[in-house]
Amino acid sequence: MKSFRSTVLGTVFGALLCAAPLLGQAKTPDDQLIVGMSMANLFSIDPANAPGLDASGINANLYDTLILRKDGSPDEHVPQLAERWDVSEDGRQLTFHLRGDARFHSGNPVTAEDVAWSLYRVLKLNYGLATTWKAYGYTLDNIRQLIRASDESTLVIELPQPTDPLLMIDTLATSPSAVVLDRKTVLEHEKNGDLGAAWLVTNEAGSGPFTLSAWRANDTLVMSAFADYWGGASKLKRVLIRHITESQSLRLMLERGDLDMGYGMAASDVQALAAKGQMQIQTLPRGTMYYVAMSMKSAPFDDIRVRKAVRSLIDYQGLDKVVMPYYGTLNQQPMQLGLEARLPDPGYRLDVEAAKRLLAEAGHPQGFKTTIRTLAEPPFVNIAASLQSTLAQAGIQASIITGTGNQVYGAMRARNFEIIVARGAERYPHPYFSLRTFVYNPDNRDDAGIANFQGWRAAFQDAELNSLIDRLGVERDEAAKLNMYHRVQQRYDELAGPIMMISQMTDPVVSAADVKGFQGADAEATRYLGVYKQR
Amino acid sequence: MFASTASFFGTRMGGTSRRFGAVLMTLLGLLAMTFFIGRVMPLDPVLAVVGPDADSSTYDQVYQAMGLDRPLLVQFGYYLRDLAQGNFGNALLTGHPVIEDIARVFPATIELATLAIIFGVVLGLPLGVFAAANQGRMGDHLARVVTLFGYSTPIFWLGMMGLLVFYAWLGWAGGAGRIDLAYDGMVPSVTGMLLIDSAIAGDWEAFFSALKHILLPALILGLNSVAYISRMTRSFMLEQLSQEYILTAQVKGLSRRKVIWGHAFRNILVQLLTVVALAYGSLLEGAVLIETVFAWPGFGQYLTSSLLLGDMNAVMGCVLVIGFIFVGLNLLSDALYKVFDPRTR
Repeated sequence: MKSFRSTVLGTVFGALLCAAPLLGQAKTPDDQLIVGMSMANLFSIDPANAPGLDASGINANLYDTLILRKDGSPDEHVPQLAERWDVSEDGRQLTFHLRGDARFHSGNPVTAEDVAWSLYRVLKLNYGLATTWKAYGYTLDNIRQLIRASDESTLVIELPQPTDPLLMIDTLATSPSAVVLDRKTVLEHEKNGDLGAAWLVTNEAGSGPFTLSAWRANDTLVMSAFADYWGGASKLKRVLIRHITESQSLRLMLERGDLDMGYGMAASDVQALAAKGQMQIQTLPRGTMYYVAMSMKSAPFDDIRVRKAVRSLIDYQGLDKVVMPYYGTLNQQPMQLGLEARLPDPGYRLDVEAAKRLLAEAGHPQGFKTTIRTLAEPPFVNIAASLQSTLAQAGIQASIITGTGNQVYGAMRARNFEIIVARGAERYPHPYFSLRTFVYNPDNRDDAGIANFQGWRAAFQDAELNSLIDRLGVERDEAAKLNMYHRVQQRYDELAGPIMMISQMTDPVVSAADVKGFQGADAEATRYLGVYKQR
Repeated sequence: MFASTASFFGTRMGGTSRRFGAVLMTLLGLLAMTFFIGRVMPLDPVLAVVGPDADSSTYDQVYQAMGLDRPLLVQFGYYLRDLAQGNFGNALLTGHPVIEDIARVFPATIELATLAIIFGVVLGLPLGVFAAANQGRMGDHLARVVTLFGYSTPIFWLGMMGLLVFYAWLGWAGGAGRIDLAYDGMVPSVTGMLLIDSAIAGDWEAFFSALKHILLPALILGLNSVAYISRMTRSFMLEQLSQEYILTAQVKGLSRRKVIWGHAFRNILVQLLTVVALAYGSLLEGAVLIETVFAWPGFGQYLTSSLLLGDMNAVMGCVLVIGFIFVGLNLLSDALYKVFDPRTR
């Protein structure tokens, strides 16, 4: 009896062991894309207040812009809601002619007034993304006059101050705040004059290829295909995004087939998947740059020799080979790779002897003590650790202070740091906007409070650089622009600007072999419209 | 008679009022400490909202809108005033009222923690009794190794290993998340606990999918509790087994099983209540590491994310909930003492 019972139990157990993998074999639906990523930084999808990369990616699918960038080029654009556009002779007026067949998810037609109102709303609410429009000279007093609908399908944009119109065109193509909202629907949900701000945190009023079906914060976000999309309905019925922060969990789920796509995985997991050769891995370049910055408010970093010494103590090549794979690509210019205006890397290298000589000349033959602030996550903390080690070779004793994003960037915004390892800049590659972010500083006083300029944060100011960048904002001659871009980079190098680029951010996206048509956009505005599964 | 009755009720009412007052003071103190610590921590909730590249006018506008320009005591006063009206404020993380968020995430944690504590009790109690009854022998040593393993092994690692073996290799467990995608959002929410809600709806496919997803994280979480409960049980049992009444029972000819379970174990039930209550309370606080590995949208993740954002509305709401939990569990323990130990009535 005992023997019979044991035999039966053993047989059942053995059968379960063999069958279990089959019972658990996973496969995602043919017409749904299941994406795993961290949604920890996704807390609003209001286009006027969605500065994060995650929100941009979501909104790129829920909304449309007037135009889109063509293949990552800042000078070429393709129609979206605008079929065509004209620029006046003097470059001060742009006219956009909207297509007649575009509709919002509500069924309301997309009109020029919706576009004008959407941009006005950004300025009126005055969240972080309003900075872009204020930089052009728009104010609440002038925006309704300068950005207006001349009729149902014609939008006129007048530039308040002399500006290269190509800059405005590129902003309209790439800024997360330049999407077009359904004014009528938003105003139906307005409360206490908030222009629908409370409602739009978790709802949408777009015309994009997908609608928002459900969103449970830090859990799941579901987008469903908009059947009446003017550009043709998506082949995918749904895109379902799962909040998964742990990279290894993402990896296991991709391998099991429970996910089609994963974002934000650790380099080691991406490498492991790459080695297996069963997944597609795209490394998408971003506009954001990793850098080591020194505050010129803190001695001795106001001394150019000390800054040059620190520059010679960064192991650029070592970081690029060991720390930065799948995080970024070596870049030593304050401008993204691949841009025509970008000069080649100046060739900075780790040179401890040169650094020691410079430090001795600057009166620090024995080095000095300092601090490095950085985020408590890879690759920042690894870069900081490498820097600490190489600084020590020249006698600079650096202690590392780690923190969360708002701790680290908060200190930088307050100009309360010595050395910082961080990441920033425009999310899409553009020479002008990059230089304006990193190099430009119109007012170096503490109480200017222009923390949106990284140059101000590092207390770096140079009149010639400011002048060149101001001129770049209005110059329309391509040859002249190119010369000025080159001159800015040369002068920044001569001055050993305190924000030292080390790498341009890349974003690895892992997808299953049967996911086709995924084309990552450099502006974190990747659309799933052309994606499908080949099964 | 009237005087004695009044005196009786007066004593009872006085006792209840004193207890209520103590609970209130505890919670108030908890809130105050959390609030003031949260305000002096180097975390900037404004930056979380406006992003690191906002200009100063935008920053100042949001800073004032969040009431952060007011003196700390005034801010706390406003918070208490709103709290008294049932308004816990809105969460930065979600834009929703904090109370709604907690109502959404807490059932996920209750479900996980309850199953984990069941594992902990079902496995831990017998293991502790077994170890005590076999003190010094192989069984005791094995039991202690198992409990040491459960207590010492980082739960994060256990979670990852569990996923690797039972999900990736064997396919026995569901992956991250509470339920398979096919059923996501399909089960009508009654309690927020998928096992119960799917059973109520009669959707047995969804039920088994939810079960498949919850078993592994609950087991791993439970292992940690097994270790604690088992060790405490062993300790309490050893104390009882050394008592004279046990010797008397043995001499009287009672079976070993009767002596251990019928006498010794019954006498440690009250002590075990406290142990299990505390273990359950700590599970309800949120097992953030397990929730991270298994992408479980629970209380722990919510609290941790809110803390890192500097979202003090959400953090204070969570702290209040945790305070209530522990107060409630203590009161429940006190009530159950009277059930299990007549001497306390």
